[in-house]
Amino acid sequence: MDAERRIQNLNDRLKYIRDIFGQKENDNIRLLAAKLSEVVAREHDLPGGVLAEELARLEDLFDFSERKLDLSLSPMDLVRIVRHPQRICLKDILENVYDNYTEIGGRGEFNIDPSMLIARAIFTRRVGEKVINQMVMVIGQEKGHGESYRNGGSVKPWGNAKALHYMKVAETENIPVHTFVFTPGAYPIEDWPGAAQQIARNLYELAALRAPVISVFSEGGSGGAEAVGLGDRRIMLSHGYYSVISPEGAAAIEGGLRGGTRATPELIEKCATQLCITAEDNLRNGYIDKILQEPPLGARPNHYDFFRELRRELIQATNEAVSEVKSMKLYRAMAVRARKSDDAESIFMRWTLSKSALKRLVDLRQRKYRAMSRHARLDGTGVMKRAVAATKETISAVHSYFRYDLLGRQKKRLDVIFEELGAEAHLVRHKLLMPLKRTIDKILPGNNGVEEKKGDAVRDKLTRLSCPEDGACLVGSEWAWTSPRSQQDRTVSCPNVRTHHCPDLWVPDLFGDFAGVCPSCGHHFPMEYRWYLENVFDYKESKEFNSQIESINPLGYEQFDLKLDKAKEKTGLKSACITFETAIDGVDTTVAVLCAPFRGGSVGAAEGEKFIRAAERAGRKRQPFIAYVHGTAGIRIQEGVNGVIQMPRCTIAVRRYIDAGGLYLVLYDTNSYAGPVASFLGCSPYQFAVQSSNIGFAGPGVITETTGIAVAPDYHSAYHALSRGHIHGIWDRREAKKNLHQALLTMGGRNLYYR
Amino acid sequence: MRVMRACMRLDLDFVCVYTAEDAESGHVRLARELGGDTSLYKIISYLDANELFSVADAAEATAVHPGYGFFAEDFRFARRVVRRDRPMVYIGPSWWVIRDLGDKINTKRIARSLNVPTVPGSDRPVYNEVEAEEIASSLFEFQTSQGIVDGVIMVKASAGGGGMGIEEVGNFDEFRSVFRRIRNYAKRNFGDEGVLIEQRIFDFNHLEVQVVSERSGTKHVHFGTRNCSIQSTGKQKRVEIAPGFAPGVIPYTFDATKVIEEITEHSMSMARESGYDNVGTWEWIVTPKGEPFLMEVNTRIQVENGVSSIISRINGEPVDILSEQLRLALGGKLEYSQEDILFTGVGIEYRIVAENTDKRFTPCAGRITKLDWQKHEWLNVYTQVPLDCEYEIPMEYDPNLALAIVWGRDLAEVKVRGAQFLDELILEGTSGGKSENFYTNIRYLKEKTGNILEF
Amino acid sequence: MLNIKELLDKVKASPYREIVIHAPHTGVVEFGGLSKGDMVHGRDGDYKEKPGTLLANLTREKNKKPITAPEKGEIESVRTELEGKFVEAGEPLVTIKHFMTRKEVIELILQEALYLFRAPERAKYYFVPEVDQKLKVSGKRSVKVVEGMELMIVSRMKRETPLAYSGPDGIIYSVYFGRGENVDEGEPLIGICPEDQLTVIQDVVARIQSEWEEE
Repeated sequence: MDAERRIQNLNDRLKYIRDIFGQKENDNIRLLAAKLSEVVAREHDLPGGVLAEELARLEDLFDFSERKLDLSLSPMDLVRIVRHPQRICLKDILENVYDNYTEIGGRGEFNIDPSMLIARAIFTRRVGEKVINQMVMVIGQEKGHGESYRNGGSVKPWGNAKALHYMKVAETENIPVHTFVFTPGAYPIEDWPGAAQQIARNLYELAALRAPVISVFSEGGSGGAEAVGLGDRRIMLSHGYYSVISPEGAAAIEGGLRGGTRATPELIEKCATQLCITAEDNLRNGYIDKILQEPPLGARPNHYDFFRELRRELIQATNEAVSEVKSMKLYRAMAVRARKSDDAESIFMRWTLSKSALKRLVDLRQRKYRAMSRHARLDGTGVMKRAVAATKETISAVHSYFRYDLLGRQKKRLDVIFEELGAEAHLVRHKLLMPLKRTIDKILPGNNGVEEKKGDAVRDKLTRLSCPEDGACLVGSEWAWTSPRSQQDRTVSCPNVRTHHCPDLWVPDLFGDFAGVCPSCGHHFPMEYRWYLENVFDYKESKEFNSQIESINPLGYEQFDLKLDKAKEKTGLKSACITFETAIDGVDTTVAVLCAPFRGGSVGAAEGEKFIRAAERAGRKRQPFIAYVHGTAGIRIQEGVNGVIQMPRCTIAVRRYIDAGGLYLVLYDTNSYAGPVASFLGCSPYQFAVQSSNIGFAGPGVITETTGIAVAPDYHSAYHALSRGHIHGIWDRREAKKNLHQALLTMGGRNLYYR
Repeated sequence: MRVMRACMRLDLDFVCVYTAEDAESGHVRLARELGGDTSLYKIISYLDANELFSVADAAEATAVHPGYGFFAEDFRFARRVVRRDRPMVYIGPSWWVIRDLGDKINTKRIARSLNVPTVPGSDRPVYNEVEAEEIASSLFEFQTSQGIVDGVIMVKASAGGGGMGIEEVGNFDEFRSVFRRIRNYAKRNFGDEGVLIEQRIFDFNHLEVQVVSERSGTKHVHFGTRNCSIQSTGKQKRVEIAPGFAPGVIPYTFDATKVIEEITEHSMSMARESGYDNVGTWEWIVTPKGEPFLMEVNTRIQVENGVSSIISRINGEPVDILSEQLRLALGGKLEYSQEDILFTGVGIEYRIVAENTDKRFTPCAGRITKLDWQKHEWLNVYTQVPLDCEYEIPMEYDPNLALAIVWGRDLAEVKVRGAQFLDELILEGTSGGKSENFYTNIRYLKEKTGNILEF
Repeated sequence: MLNIKELLDKVKASPYREIVIHAPHTGVVEFGGLSKGDMVHGRDGDYKEKPGTLLANLTREKNKKPITAPEKGEIESVRTELEGKFVEAGEPLVTIKHFMTRKEVIELILQEALYLFRAPERAKYYFVPEVDQKLKVSGKRSVKVVEGMELMIVSRMKRETPLAYSGPDGIIYSVYFGRGENVDEGEPLIGICPEDQLTVIQDVVARIQSEWEEE
């Protein structure tokens, strides 16, 4: 019987190896298969003892081969490991790493979202004489143990909302959070709270969550990973992957495939390699802190040694995170930092933190992300210029502090007093002096001449031209910039012609006068970003900064240099993000623009950095910060994790800015999808959209592919986004400037200088 | 129709468009008669400019006449005519003139910059409540100083039109709430909360000055004035008389000759200053005190041009303003000056409309079974109603049936002739609806003939 | 009583409806390379987002617009002599022989079975607001009509007058006009079914559902 089980066991191992390596044939695998079948064939002929010996030898061979094969794993093989049904999952970890746990909000499929698992867990260990219990909040995606309803670890928006809720609970209870990333990506549906918007909310809260967060990455699929992955410590399992997009998705985009046609395995393999998704890649790029070595060919539920390693690592990481910010730096802290491997268990450190320590924790976390991805962009600004800019920054920060905080507050107080006094005086004058004046007028009717003159003045005011400086013609004023399309003599049909019967539009009228808006139904034709720069943001008068920060090809992605150069040449820009300071009807603001023509407005390291610097500048200068999204296709996949990491980075910048009292306002135009919406755009409390724009997490094609549901063509339209609560208003393009100005006057934080 | 006739007179070829609803109407028949089947193009709607340009290209037209309605006041249409890859001549003023003078607020500002009198009040949209109250209070003050006891001011949405978003205010206390109401209404309905505040002028005569200019925009003449005070409730003109006043015949409380001189002079100076370069009409209102105020400028030829034509002589020769428009638009010169234009007699134009004048001029649907009139040398009648068969009044447009111009040597004679024409006119029809009778405004016109030009 | 079988047989004898595609406006026409006998299909997709077969392109003012088939059917004739020529609005371009769908047959036979309230004059018709509301909220069958009830508004020459219903009492079963559409005199506006005959009518519908086979 024992022999049979061992054979069965070996069979399983062989099958697993075959699964991992997919179609690829390999001498090692062939050898194992041959040996195994040989033994199986002879199973009944051999006497028990010999068979056991044979099996032992075969098992050794398997061990050896597995170690050998482990070295030859390609990135795509890793993806297959991670996706394999035998891969460890969160339930395994809860059972084997922690000493006890209670699952919260779910019993199997009876769960608001079974793919997001929440549990309160404890570590119990003996340190010296004492037995201690330490509590943590465990949050993570679950794809196994009930595959039918786990949705493959693809979390629905409300699942992420649940995760956020319990992060806040952990914050209240002052316990660490352990998050486990086991997701191929978020489930791309828009129903409230919305895939993108909920991830954005999670990131926004995590950006300043006052609790230590330790993240463990096994399968980190883009947006879904970020929803729980913004940690103080990020540990990655050696056979996991962390990527901007699934290799299949990248291949589909790369191959320009549409409508269900599959990319070839070779292309997928190539994309997987190019995207730099492995643990080593991510460690090198600085996006994770540590790799936890797994057994050969990946951890499976029976690798108990591995669970012990994981447990040690979790305690160690939590200790590290906590000790870093504790005010009392004792020997223990040094010991923790020394990373003497196995003694983590033996060091006890209280995981509750004081208020000031929590503040330091958050600050440290924000700095950590701020420093990332420096290598993935090019800053063309000269050394001198940089020094000058840095000095200026300091000066302006000091200046703002004096002007708005120190002096401004005093001045405001004085102003208030004067205003009160003035109002008082007015009332006195009115009440006391007017009757007096009337009496005088009655007694001395001599000053009628004044009255007459006044009469003339009134007459003039009513019959003469007012404000002659504006000129006689008011309607002649045109847009400061019109699209070059307005020079073509042709007509276009409005897309709403079937429902609204709009007449065809003559292009010069449409783009010259109507700002690309159909006058009969209000449909907004896409408009160049230049139009907004000139007509809304007064670009000519503005002060652009950081224009030298340039997008590069940090992963050496094939042919991407060429494409990038083409985009730079076509648009004359160095990245998809333009940042400048301008005045909107007299209110100084900082503006960041994402331009669709530059690689679809996708966000990479350069764009993220510019955005962060703009937010910081707005904060320093006490200015409102406006993000105008002319269009964005998402995170730039060719930059891999360098792109994805901009989601937490920019969100942290926004969080810092808003916490400092700023007004952050987002205006969407044309099509805005994916990563940016799911992070630094979607987290704004004031998001507006230009009519006829689309806002969402994933395009209709991706939704159909991942969920199998065909969505309506207008699924992502601004009106639907508004009724789902994702955005907070829809503006007419022609009135964008007016609305923006009104918004600046009526919304936002406490630290804006013009208040 | 008259455009087609004018084309024939000037020996120009034309093409003409029509819609399915209009296939039976007079202008289609006339076009078929004058230009043959090839001059007719069926289009889907008169309101679709693309159809007109599409036909113009197919027919290789060189010039476009926008008619009397919709497109004649649309500067974008005029601009498109000349800015296409295959440009054509636009028969009317240049597009920038239409743009500048087509907007009432702008017209008011141009007028004020030239010291042309306009209705007291704001000359730009007011957004601010404080500013609005200031204007309103000065308006009340101003009216009091003018001796107007219960002055009324008008508050209207600057983006509105056609009687929408207008309210009158009788005293200052009400003003604030009315202003708010109109502003909110304007914001909801027009997307712009700008409000205009003006004095309300009661009891006035509506006068027009017919201006004709050369393409160069430097030479201008006028063809006298018209009085268009007789209007339906919807401010649609029903009777027009040229000249505008009859000083000497009717006792006016003011110097009518001087008023006419004044408004012609102001109109001409504005035409000169704005570089006006085709046919246009300056519309004025004249109060019982003889104060004229410029209302608006019609940057197009109007239906009532005929009544001005009929009293005008250039060096003794009769004139047709419409033909002049075509000739001048195509680059012809004004070979005569103002002194060569003399006015003789009085003309009346009647618009015969199927409508119930007792019921707020509601239009009436139905079929015309018979239309005929006695011919006279002092009478011109234009109609799209065919005389030899029945005619269904098209539902989509206003039920205008015919236009009649009567001429007389003096006011007394023209009144008699007008009445005679209306008496002799035979117009029979059946109502489309089951329950109602067929109405026309003939009786109304007769009543009005008695006291035309009186204040 | 209604002889459904006979009616059905009559329809079955000529199960086609001819659809003539007219030029929606002026322009230069180019046909899509279809010829007599070709099969075409109408709009489809979950949200009717996929247009039908391309019949022709009509270019006006440099704007090339496709004319697509509204329904499934077979091309009966194409005016190929117009290829590349300027056409006026309303010019017939393509004729399609359309095999009637079950729904259309039901409508056709119901017109025989129901009492039809016809338009008294050519005008635009609307339901009075209360009825309109009820139709929208609770569906067609929810509205009961009685003789003399003010049911509709006739809009003609920018002027609106109420229209009272006359005919047998019953419920509204079908509505034959669209919002803002001109209805010619004598065309049916609504189909009324007396309440006691509702089951009969439903039988008719059920029978056609089962007997009519769509092509």
